[in-house]
Formats: sequence, structure tokens, C-alpha cells
Amino acid sequence: MRRIALYGKGGIGKSTIASNLTVSLSNKGYRVMQIGCDPKADSTKLLLGGRSPPTVLDAMKRGRSAGEAIVRGTGGCYCAECGGPRPGTGCAGRGIIAAFERMEKDGVIEKIAPDVLIYDVLGDVVCGGFAMPIRNGYAKDVFIVSSGEMMSLYAASNIAMAVSDLRGVGYAELRGIIQNSKGTEGEDTAVDRAASEMGTEVIRRVPRDKAVQRCETAGKTVAEGDPDSELSKEYGRLADAVLRLSSDTEGGMRNV
Amino acid sequence: MNIHPRPNPIIAALYMLRDIDIDVVVIHGPSGCGFMASRMIEDAGIRVVTTAMDDNDLIFGASEKLESVLRETEKRFGPRTIAVIGTCSSMIIGEDMRASIGRSGVNCKVIAVDCHGCMGDNTAGAIKAVEASEDAGIIPHGEAERQKHLLSMATKMEKERGMASVTYLPPSNGPTKLGAAKRIIGCLSDGGRLAVIQVSKKELAYRFSDIFLAADYACGKLGGETKFIANLDPNKGLPRVRRYASDILSELDENNISVDIAGGLDEYAVIGEDLRKKVSSFGPDLVVIAGIPHAYPDLNRDQILITDQPRQLSNYLSKGYDAVGEISSHLMVMNVRRIVPTETGDTIREILRDEC
Repeated sequence: MRRIALYGKGGIGKSTIASNLTVSLSNKGYRVMQIGCDPKADSTKLLLGGRSPPTVLDAMKRGRSAGEAIVRGTGGCYCAECGGPRPGTGCAGRGIIAAFERMEKDGVIEKIAPDVLIYDVLGDVVCGGFAMPIRNGYAKDVFIVSSGEMMSLYAASNIAMAVSDLRGVGYAELRGIIQNSKGTEGEDTAVDRAASEMGTEVIRRVPRDKAVQRCETAGKTVAEGDPDSELSKEYGRLADAVLRLSSDTEGGMRNV
Repeated sequence: MNIHPRPNPIIAALYMLRDIDIDVVVIHGPSGCGFMASRMIEDAGIRVVTTAMDDNDLIFGASEKLESVLRETEKRFGPRTIAVIGTCSSMIIGEDMRASIGRSGVNCKVIAVDCHGCMGDNTAGAIKAVEASEDAGIIPHGEAERQKHLLSMATKMEKERGMASVTYLPPSNGPTKLGAAKRIIGCLSDGGRLAVIQVSKKELAYRFSDIFLAADYACGKLGGETKFIANLDPNKGLPRVRRYASDILSELDENNISVDIAGGLDEYAVIGEDLRKKVSSFGPDLVVIAGIPHAYPDLNRDQILITDQPRQLSNYLSKGYDAVGEISSHLMVMNVRRIVPTETGDTIREILRDEC
């Protein structure tokens, strides 16, 4: 199983990249599961026709198993949202930890047995909870989504630092930057330079394209809504790159 | 840094709220938090309840649970005052206790004490309790300022000379009380001058005052001369603490024992110089210091030190002092109005009963 985590600044397009990656991999014949690690619980919306899925934490709160929160999405992929508290209350980071522990306890991943598990993680590594996917053997390979904007690269650098700190204990490793282009001047150079400073490289550059907005308005990924577009083909190439750079390891939800 | 177990700010806040005579304390946190101290506080007549936060509350917030517990508390106990104390779990997730108090709709006075276990000095929690009580008009500004000063001085003393001054102290039960009792008896038998200082922290005076009773009994049997000094000023401190001093002075008076007063029961950390002057003017052959002996500025190995703290006892013994421990005293004094016999006092009385 490939265990992949996507990180990046809030609003940079992680969920768009993750969902298109999920559909592209599903189209290539892989059994894919996407887990949203954000209390907003909107990572998998594009895989579900724009619907808000149930969340693992809501299921837990009702005393139900985590499996009840798993739904099938586009191309037969599996979707899970950790969920979390309302803004301004509770602890979203603790929610991620609790949701992971519950999914593991309930054997959710073992039952689905995906070929690729994609974690779509909220914004920055703001606390221990949001570092959960990259420690304890949950994810093995980390990709950071960034544009060439300064704040996005700054967040990317912080994430790279957190991954580097955990690499020493044998957990996830940074495999590269996915450039989700904003079309700003000198963007490619800025992202290349930042990647080099982080000790990694840009694995693909996804161009800015109005197809994204058009398909998302319809509640779809580009890979589903406009499969013949150049952008959809780029997502396919991104999927190939992610497969090439990630490791296929044994185990259930965790590889330890 | 201290690595031995010590009370944290939550516990210090609990005790301060007891001193302030709050009717009910709501601990906003998991059910086990502060339970040992809570049981003792309940023995002193204060009700303590918990919001019993669980993992779901940690994730989603526990404001509704706090509101519900406040309503249940008012219905069940009919209190005049309630204090909500924060804990590590509720404060880390940023619970807005004041908003919950407002939404609960309870009619009695409710204060929020924003504290948690990682605030540093334990007195930080007590100071938060004082400030919240002052803001609610439960204690006057002057008394609040006085309490904060005394708490900061107590912290300073503990860091300089008490249990916070050493990285690690093992607990110790110390020697039996026979040696100390024999030295006190020996001093009086020889017609010597015995000074007994009691420098207690609040309710513990109900126990350490027994040394006065025992020494006075011994003096009556053996001769010699005694001087009793104590921080039992009944006109200083919060009403509850003044009551402790009044109770004890009345009982000592019943026994025709007079005490030279040096400050109030909450002033143990600031009366060292006053105690020294009083002892010096008496010119004793033997000095016994009971309560918090390190509050006395001139400790030496000729004195007898009596404490209730196993680790403090260990601290004294490691420095070569002649010290004994009245261990578990705190449990014995939580809801008493009369002096509680000590093992040291009982040993003195037993020796004299058998020998005289």
C-alpha cells in the first residue's frame, strides 16, 4: 500500500490536487482511498458530486464505528473525512488523532485494502494533531502543494522542516513539491529555488486553468468533468510521478 | 526544576477558593483531575463537582456540558457562590468559561478561574482565584492585594529554602518522636528555658498547636520555663482563616496557655524576623519549631523541627537537623474546630504519665 500525505498552505488547492489525483489513480485501475484531515470536512466533496460526507468524528460521537463514515466516490474510490469541531471550539488536532486511532481500531483500512491511501491535510502543521499523518507510520511519502507566492512557499518551508524533524525516527519523508500554479511572474523560478532550499525538487507543475473552477462548480474533479482536457492529462502525469516517487509497503493503516 | 511531585496551580486554586468560602467548585476537566485535593476540600465543607470531560469534549468543546453542570449544581446545592476552575484539558482547547457561565442562566454568583496545571508556580492558580474573587466583589481589593503579596512571598520562601529549592527529595517518615520528646523533657527537667514556635500554614495550626499543650503539660510536671510564639493573629486574613486562629486561641486560653502572637496564619512566609526577635529576647536553652520550620530564618542543628511534609522532613534530615514528621496532618485537620493531638505531643505525655 502506498501511503501519501499532501500538505500545503490553506486555500492553495490541496483538495483539488488530492481529488484529481484520486480519480486519476482510480482511472488507472488502482483502488484508492482519500482521507480528509480538516475539520471543515470538505476534502472529498468533489468526489461526491459536491455533497458533504459524514465524518468519522461524528460517527464516534454517536457511538458508531468509523466504517459508517466511509463512502464511495467517483470511479469507485473510497472517501473518509475525519471531521472536527465547529470553528472556535474544541481541538481539531486532537480530533485528527482520535479519528486516526478509531479508524485503526475499527480496521477500516484493512477492510478496504486500498492500493493508494491519500491524506489531504489542513494547511500548515499547526500542532501535533496535524502532524499525525506523517508520524507513527501512517503516511510514508509527503508531497507539498505550493504556488510561487511567498506565503505559500513560507508554509511549504515550515512543513518541510516538520517532515525533516520526523524523518530521523524513520517516519514519512518529503518526496517533492507539486506546483499548483497561480500564473504569477517568475513563479517557476521561485518554486524551484524554494524546493532546492528545502532539499527537494518540483515533481510536476499543474498549470492554472479555468477548467478547475468550471468543474468544481459542477461538483466534479477535472479528471471526471473534463477527462480529455490537457489539465486532466497533467493530473494523469502527476499520478504517475507520485506512484514513481512513493514506496509500496506492507501493513494496514500504518507501516511500522 | 523539581522532579518530585508537587501541587500544581489547579490544586492551589482549589485551596484558595476554600479559604475564600466559595460554596461549590466546578472543575472543568476530566473527572480524575484534582480528585485527591477535592476530597479533602469536601471534608472542609465545600462541594466539588467535575464536568468529567471526555475525548469527545476535548475535540468538540465542552461548553454545553459546563452549562449543564452549572445548572445541575445550582439545582442540587442551592449555593450562593460557584467557582469554575479551568484545567489543562479545558484551557488547552480554549474553553470560554465566562461565556458558558453567562449562557447557563444560573442565578447565583459564578466566577471563572482561568488556570491550568502548566502555569508554573502553584501559587499562580491561587492568585487567579483571588483575582476572580475580587473582580466578583467576593473579597475586597485590599485583602486581594495582601493575599497576592503573601502568595508571592510563600513561593519565594519555598524556592529559597523549601521543597522547591531541591531538584529531588525522597519522601521520609523520619525517626520516631521519642528522641525529640526526651530532649524537650530533658530541657524542662533541668530547669531550662524552652521556646516553642508554631509557624503554621492555615488549618495545620489545629495540629501543631498541640505542641503548646504538650510542652505546657511537661512544664507543669517538671518545671523549667516556656515561651510560646505563634502566627495566630485572629484579626488577619480571610474570615475562615481568622476563625481557625480564634478557635485555637480559645482552646489554649481554656488551658491557661498564653501565646505571643507573630502575624496571621497566612503570613508564615513574612514573619521570620519577628519570630527571631521574640525568641532572642527570651534566651532559650532549646527551640522547637513546628509547622513550616524553614520559615524561621535561623535554623540550626540544636533546634527540634516538626513538619507534616515527608519530603520537607527529608530535606531537613539531609541537612543534619533534628527533625520529626507529623505525617498526614493535613487529612486530620480539614474539618475540625479543636486542636488535634500530635505524635510528638502524645509521646511527651506518655513518657511523663509513665515516669512521673
